[in-house]
Amino acid sequence: MFLQQLFNGLTTGSAYALIALGYTMIYGILGLINFAQGEIYMCGAFVAVLLLATGKVNFFIAFAAGMGAAALLGLILERVAFRPLRGAHPLVPLISAIGASIFLQSLALLVFGPSDRPFPIQFTFSTVTLGGVAISTLQGAIFAAALGLMALLVLFVRFTRYGKAIVACALDRDTARLMGINVDRMVALTFIIGSALSGAAGIMMAIYYNATYPRMGLLPGLKAFSAAILGGVGNIPGAILGGLVLGVAESLGAAYIASGYKDAVAFVILILVLLLRPQGILKGRGH
Amino acid sequence: MEAYILHLSIMAGIYIILTVSLNLIIGYAGQVSLGHAAFFGLGAYVSALTSLNWGLPFPAALVLAMLFAGACGLGLGLPTLRLKEDYLAIVTLGFGVIVDLIMVNLTITGGPDGLVGIPAPVIFGLSFRPPVRYLALVLLTVGFTLLVVHRLVHSYHGRALRAIRDHEVTAQVMGVNTPAYKVMIFTLAAALAGAAGSLYAHYITFINPESFGLHTSILVLSMVILGGMGSLAGSVVGAMTLAVLPELLRRAQAYQDLIYGALLIVLLIWRPQGLLGGGKLSLKFLRKKE
Repeated sequence: MFLQQLFNGLTTGSAYALIALGYTMIYGILGLINFAQGEIYMCGAFVAVLLLATGKVNFFIAFAAGMGAAALLGLILERVAFRPLRGAHPLVPLISAIGASIFLQSLALLVFGPSDRPFPIQFTFSTVTLGGVAISTLQGAIFAAALGLMALLVLFVRFTRYGKAIVACALDRDTARLMGINVDRMVALTFIIGSALSGAAGIMMAIYYNATYPRMGLLPGLKAFSAAILGGVGNIPGAILGGLVLGVAESLGAAYIASGYKDAVAFVILILVLLLRPQGILKGRGH
Repeated sequence: MEAYILHLSIMAGIYIILTVSLNLIIGYAGQVSLGHAAFFGLGAYVSALTSLNWGLPFPAALVLAMLFAGACGLGLGLPTLRLKEDYLAIVTLGFGVIVDLIMVNLTITGGPDGLVGIPAPVIFGLSFRPPVRYLALVLLTVGFTLLVVHRLVHSYHGRALRAIRDHEVTAQVMGVNTPAYKVMIFTLAAALAGAAGSLYAHYITFINPESFGLHTSILVLSMVILGGMGSLAGSVVGAMTLAVLPELLRRAQAYQDLIYGALLIVLLIWRPQGLLGGGKLSLKFLRKKE
């Protein structure tokens, strides 16, 4: 029972971690919360599901297209809702992102309707018994794919020129500009990467829960933000750790405390973290 | 038709209280609350439960609703207001989710079905069941709220708040106790939202968690932005506009949230000061009206 819940938690936690990475990277570079991150997650899932529903597209192409669409949406959001407001009171871009989130959610509601869509492909996944616990290979595949994406991101940030340029912008935007880094382009790149990861998370959860719907991004988006704070906002390993810890805490909380309050766990943790250790588990850069 | 206009006016009055209180947080203290509907809901439930279960008279229920919502605001504000404004936004959003889950899961709150048969207020033997009298009660509360908030923001404390909004570090250097001010204003705003909730519950007479969700928080936020952050008269106009507009555009109901979302972005880019512009213009407007 305990191990079972642990694995369930790690599966949803890996999705939280992927979204939290987007929050943390954008927060690191702009000092802003992209409130519409959950809608980007939803957009990735919808594009993949709609492409697969045509029956003509390979799963991996649909997955990549979903991530691409999410990245494109992130880029558009940066241009429309963030860039014109850079330099304003921090409240202003925050509210415009909330506006974008509401807009995208209701647009999806109008276009796709309120009902759940099942995932078009049926995967035949077996269950593996590991130490007396049944784990579906689906959970394993999601967890592995998420870890793979995270590893790619960490390698990108550590070892490539663009990755290092993003870190430089996050550390000090003005100095980075003086060093010849095109800051605007790096901000756009951050939005692209963060959004693509959220899109991937959306597709994974669309498979896991077998449901895609306009409001699917709302709670995961908020929880992932809590995860980013839990790990230390602006800190990439922190976001991964925070996402996984949050997923597990939620799953255990639902199993052992009260299942009706499952969605509250993340926010109770958020408030406790802010009260006891506002810099997060791994110290964040933001404060 | 007359009954319908009365209904709209009462709802607009309740929204004005909500909008003015949220504007205190956004426009004067420079913070964002996305869980304002939760305080509204807490006020409504406390007021309804105390009158249904304990038979408390309306004024006592109203005061209890304000105290309870204010206490929750204090509890939420203390840990979060020391931090940057973004945290408050997400914590209040999360608080909204928690409150919603509590309302849905508890038996005392009637679960998803909510509470029914909330009595109309009776003050000194005078029943406020007729909508005309209820409107008078709401307008009285609106007037009182506006008076208190107007006096507050034009006092020493109001200047301290604006200093915090414009530059927190400078305000701190000048000796303003910034966390204390932020917590105070957040508590006051929560209490006012609680009062609005109480008025709503005793008017509608049945409440369920649906009325106090994120949708309502966003609606009130839109009202604040439309009217103009930091403008009291703007809040009144913003609340009245968005309370009445959906009724006029019944056919476009499906597009309501779409319009609010786009409205927030468009206003912030092209007219961040809102409909009535900055503080000065709106004050002249208010004086002319008075």
